[in-house]
Amino acid sequence: MGFHIVKRDHCPFWQRCLFYLAAVVGALLLGAILLLAIDVNPLDYYFKMFTMGTVGNRIAHKTFMNYLNQFVPLALTSVALSLAFKMRFWNIGGEGQFIVGAVTAATVAFKLGPHAPTWLTLIVMCLDAMLVAGIFGLIPALLKVKFGTNETLMTLMMNYLALYFLFFLGETKASWNFFLQEGSDRPVFEKFSDFVAFPTFPLGEKFQLNLTVILTLILGILVFLYLKYTKHGYEISVVGDSIGTAGYAGMNVKWIILRTVFLSAALIGLAAAFKVGTSGVLSTAVTNDVGWTGIIVAWLAHLNPVMIFIVSALICVLQHGSVQANADFSRVDSSFANMLQGLILFAVLAADFFTRFRIVRNAKGDKNHG
Amino acid sequence: MDKLGVITSFLFNIVVWNIPLLYGTVGEILVEKSGSLNLGVEGIMAVGAIFGYICGCFANSLSVGIAVAFLTAALCGLLFAFLTVTLHANQNITGLTLTTFGLGVYFFVGNSIKAVNKWPVMGDYSSITKGFAPAHIPGLSDIPVIGKVLFRHNLFIYLGIAIAILVWWYLKHTTPGLRLRAIGENPGSADSVGINVNRMKYIHICIGCGIMGIGGYYMALNMSGSFNSTCWINGYGWISVALVIFANWSPVLAILGTFLFGFFNTLRVSGSSLAAAFPEALGWLAKIPTQVYQALPFFITAIVLIVTSVGSKRGKSGLPASLGLNYFREER
Repeated sequence: MGFHIVKRDHCPFWQRCLFYLAAVVGALLLGAILLLAIDVNPLDYYFKMFTMGTVGNRIAHKTFMNYLNQFVPLALTSVALSLAFKMRFWNIGGEGQFIVGAVTAATVAFKLGPHAPTWLTLIVMCLDAMLVAGIFGLIPALLKVKFGTNETLMTLMMNYLALYFLFFLGETKASWNFFLQEGSDRPVFEKFSDFVAFPTFPLGEKFQLNLTVILTLILGILVFLYLKYTKHGYEISVVGDSIGTAGYAGMNVKWIILRTVFLSAALIGLAAAFKVGTSGVLSTAVTNDVGWTGIIVAWLAHLNPVMIFIVSALICVLQHGSVQANADFSRVDSSFANMLQGLILFAVLAADFFTRFRIVRNAKGDKNHG
Repeated sequence: MDKLGVITSFLFNIVVWNIPLLYGTVGEILVEKSGSLNLGVEGIMAVGAIFGYICGCFANSLSVGIAVAFLTAALCGLLFAFLTVTLHANQNITGLTLTTFGLGVYFFVGNSIKAVNKWPVMGDYSSITKGFAPAHIPGLSDIPVIGKVLFRHNLFIYLGIAIAILVWWYLKHTTPGLRLRAIGENPGSADSVGINVNRMKYIHICIGCGIMGIGGYYMALNMSGSFNSTCWINGYGWISVALVIFANWSPVLAILGTFLFGFFNTLRVSGSSLAAAFPEALGWLAKIPTQVYQALPFFITAIVLIVTSVGSKRGKSGLPASLGLNYFREER
């Protein structure tokens, strides 16, 4: 007697929710066992982590503002990556595109910031970051359509070129290097928060809502509409399903790929401009790994923009919460969040399988081994 | 230091510092030849390193360390294989998650053991330090310069090269190796001639990942097991992924590539001492920013990737045709 695997035509919504819920709970249980193994009460820890330490905290509004600042780059990067992934263009280069965008935005802030009104500087920062990151992303796309160069590996290599370029800027004291503080002996990135920062709007007594949060939500909706209701969106999904079909249908496949990858990379550049425009300083860890995490988020969310917002919000809770919880549980550092994130994704990938396939018992005497 | 001494130790360090790249690369070649693109090398090496080091020390045995490093890394491979081969999960995503997860495990385990003051110090374990000490081959090791550069290494160096040659021979000259390559090119055709595609993929993904794990263990030993905020692997896994492309999926070329990438890696650290020893000929070395050396492996790989894809119509590329694609029998 054996089993074999059959594709499901359809999996009801409640059943899918159930599978994913089971996956997350299973991962959390595994995490709890690990916490028990190092003598930490998992319930206490999880409570602290998932509330991000805001319960009974007088500066909870600050925590939440920091949380949103972490959420914006991740959500926007994930949305941007989903555009390319929809076409099955494996843009692993989010890190690199983010770095290039961040450096461009910082350059504009330093060079234009002191001489122009803030709103103008911010707009130029965003547009330039989008343009440069877009062009940086266009390189592997051009190679892909021209020579068939493997884009996964190419974008991966380009991440490191961008990363070491950033390290170079951050570690080289020189008269030309306006990114670093002049007075300091050790290389330290100069702040520009005094003259350039995204505006915030007060909500309630203490809470300040950053403009970038609103813009990110609007962009998310726009991308959703773009994918769902425009001709471009339709073309992207056809190319993703089958390049051959798209070609027979008379679509200009190469142009669609180039256009979409440019847009994807440009949005990542915008996420970077949001990030440096909010923090007011460049750093060698400016990406906070959103280029990597964004890939995971986009996939977890099945490339659906609405789901991407929910998933990035949850992932940020894990990441931000583990930092907050570290104050009380000094033995559990942020590595636990990474491990938990991995466990959850493994479990969800497994759950994915059950939403797409069914396991069927072979009929008696059937020699077909699955 | 005398000039000859500087050159000798420079060449010696190229080998000693960079051999983990060979383990990572050969392991990944074996995985990729089965058609699976595993981007989890960094995490898998970290897992092998931490468990190999700790278990090896507690057992005070180098072979236990190697075995544990191999097995734990192979377990990561099993997880990867289960998710991508059986459950058809996307390989890029699974691999990237494996990196996040593996590094998480590395720090979680390391920090937890440090927190209870149980961290093993390598110097306390005589058979580990003795086993890791450079070999002395009578006659050969005493030749000036060459003796030190080629014949005075620890056993991992020779083991790594032996594994690379063995894997090359296996892929090129044995029936299972040929079958594996067939799966990497076209799993559907391989299946139709009666090759058990899934079993072959499982076996080779696990063994490949196990080899990476030994490389991770080596890095732990080479850093004398000092555990701090920087992971022992420190990007070597990613360089290995690049090196696979550079080596055009050939384990023997990987040996060459390891030493070429190692050359730049060693220049980054020893460039200043070379510049000091030969101020006139090599003085300019001190002026090159270290980041250039760090970026070079990736830059060279990008160029190789472009050049081979331009020339791929001539059929010289070793890139397995079905790399990164899952195989589902009923979609054949």
